[in-house]
Amino acid sequence: MSIRADVERFMAMGTRVELHRFGPAGADDALRVARRAIEAVDDALTIHRPSATTALNDRLLAGQDAPIDDPVLLDALLSVETVHEATLGLFDPAADRRFSGSAWHGIVFDRATARLRAPYPVAVDFGGFGKGFALDRACAALRAAGVTTACLSAGESSIAVIGAHPLGGGWPFAVPHPFDSNTLLVEVELLDQSLSISATVGAGAAAPERSAMLRPDDHAVITAPRCTVAVAASGALAEALSTALLVADPARADRLLDRDRANRFRFDLTPA
Amino acid sequence: MTYKDFDLSRRTFLDRVLMAAAGAGMTAAAPWAAIAAGTAAATSDRVRIGVIGTGDRGRTLIQNINKTRNCMVAAICDTYEPNLTKARAWIGAGTRTFSDHRAMLDAGGLDAVVIATPLNLHAKHVFDGFDAGLHVWCEKAMARTIPDCSAMVKRSQDSRKILQIGHQRMFHPTYLNALRRAKAGEIGSLTQIRASWHRNNSWRRPVPAGVSDRQINWRLYRDSSAGLMTELATHQLQVGNWFFDAVPTRVMGSGSICFWKDGREVYDHVALIYEYAGGRKLIYTSLLNNARYGCEEQIQGSKGTIEPELGRIYQELPPKALALQRMRKEVARGQKRTVPIGGATWFPELPVTTPGESLGWGEYDETMLQFEGFGEAVRANRALPGLLAQAYAASVASLLGEQAMDRGEALTWPTSLVTI
Repeated sequence: MSIRADVERFMAMGTRVELHRFGPAGADDALRVARRAIEAVDDALTIHRPSATTALNDRLLAGQDAPIDDPVLLDALLSVETVHEATLGLFDPAADRRFSGSAWHGIVFDRATARLRAPYPVAVDFGGFGKGFALDRACAALRAAGVTTACLSAGESSIAVIGAHPLGGGWPFAVPHPFDSNTLLVEVELLDQSLSISATVGAGAAAPERSAMLRPDDHAVITAPRCTVAVAASGALAEALSTALLVADPARADRLLDRDRANRFRFDLTPA
Repeated sequence: MTYKDFDLSRRTFLDRVLMAAAGAGMTAAAPWAAIAAGTAAATSDRVRIGVIGTGDRGRTLIQNINKTRNCMVAAICDTYEPNLTKARAWIGAGTRTFSDHRAMLDAGGLDAVVIATPLNLHAKHVFDGFDAGLHVWCEKAMARTIPDCSAMVKRSQDSRKILQIGHQRMFHPTYLNALRRAKAGEIGSLTQIRASWHRNNSWRRPVPAGVSDRQINWRLYRDSSAGLMTELATHQLQVGNWFFDAVPTRVMGSGSICFWKDGREVYDHVALIYEYAGGRKLIYTSLLNNARYGCEEQIQGSKGTIEPELGRIYQELPPKALALQRMRKEVARGQKRTVPIGGATWFPELPVTTPGESLGWGEYDETMLQFEGFGEAVRANRALPGLLAQAYAASVASLLGEQAMDRGEALTWPTSLVTI
């Protein structure tokens, strides 16, 4: 008996998004609801067109208190607080080469009143975190609609799965070497987890819309050929971890890797 | 460079031309190339050439004639003494010089003339050359008007004298190799050529005392030139016709004096679309205030692109196999396989920046080869096949484009042209 499957494909967050649902039908509009969840994140977090985030940045750059009225943005900022901590501060959406010393830890986030304040000009750029965060919200929407088996992708560098593979067990994924597609960097199996891949090389790494990878504390631009992979319980954390591993100095990279060697990987791609 | 070095590079150059010309379909597409490259043994019986017009271009031609093994400059002529003075540096002490081309023709001792004068004088000088019983090599474009181009062809046919027009790309090994590879199907079906010649300068030369602006800057005035169309576009229109193996069916365009509002009469901005049978198009732009995209022909096929000025050939990227789509199909078949991912974030429809590969066979001295071919044609009193038809079509295309822009109308290819 063949397994029922349906899919929703669309552009969001500057990449191709695919939502694959398998197994017994849930609510008929589950995929559309999940899509709207992702598009809502895109609308709230983008800095490439007017959004709640650009409005926030306008106020922070002007040295003003910034009230957070958008619930998606507020949720994203709360998530940033968590993953910033979990990545030793190496995932930092406020790191900005334009402003020396700009960093997330300098921003005062008053959760009770949903306001941000910064003592210096600063702007927030969620970057790839937004994709993982969006997949998390889409997963939540699918689960709420009764979906038990699904695979979600944002540009194939951000993956989230719901439940087990339709044929049982984990969802097997492999990350090829960016310079040699016949060589695999790592194979992983996901089960109700998310995966994120970050790299300084490969197709798309030099695309004009992509920002430089910055180490937050010294604002060093990371150019060494490197690829990182992180598997985590949430897309937001997986994205933050893969970014943190990419920009980390060797000592902090080891600290992050040592916490979960089975799910965190960093590959030096410097030619031998 | 020693003579031996020169001889070696010359041999390599000619071998490359011959190799390109031997490709499938090339005998019909570039029949002149193999003849020009396969001849020209050194000889004491050189074709004696009189050069009319010794400005910058004329002097370059003289230098190239000097490199040939079968031609020699026997006389030069220019109405402007400083040009003659400069040209004397490139000719033998006994070479005759004239300030009146009629006097040069009347003096005799020539087999052929080379014409490198302002465009509006080409027809008259060509006719005078034929009337003197000489073969003629003339710079492109052929003439200032389409009827004059046609008359030049007709006079050549009636006098049974050779008329060869200077389109050096037809002798350029990289272009010949590009055509060979296109004919071999390497870039698939050709449907569009984007050609441009963009510069960032006024195209205006300083005017010395004693001569007029119109004499020096004849390219900027309509009575003597169609500007960008006849001086630049004609080269690339020839390439377009050559690769499409056709002449346009229709042309439309827009021209303007957009930036250099200095009294010139010819457009400094042109944009045209030349239509060819089967819906194919050549899209042409030329301008004088931005050099970012320079001079290039982007020859676009269903499987790839050739950019001969850069000397590159690019293959179309295969459509990316979407890993999750493949996974879904495998699941439907009951197969569970590892899914390769992380190919990189997909950016929609940005220009492809893959480096492509070298076409190979860079330039050497295609202008010299033109003259060796011309010399061989003069000796045999038989024109190199195909050349004049290419040049005639290119000149007509450039002048028809000018008319289309002037009138603001789409113009169809003339039906009254001379059959070659």
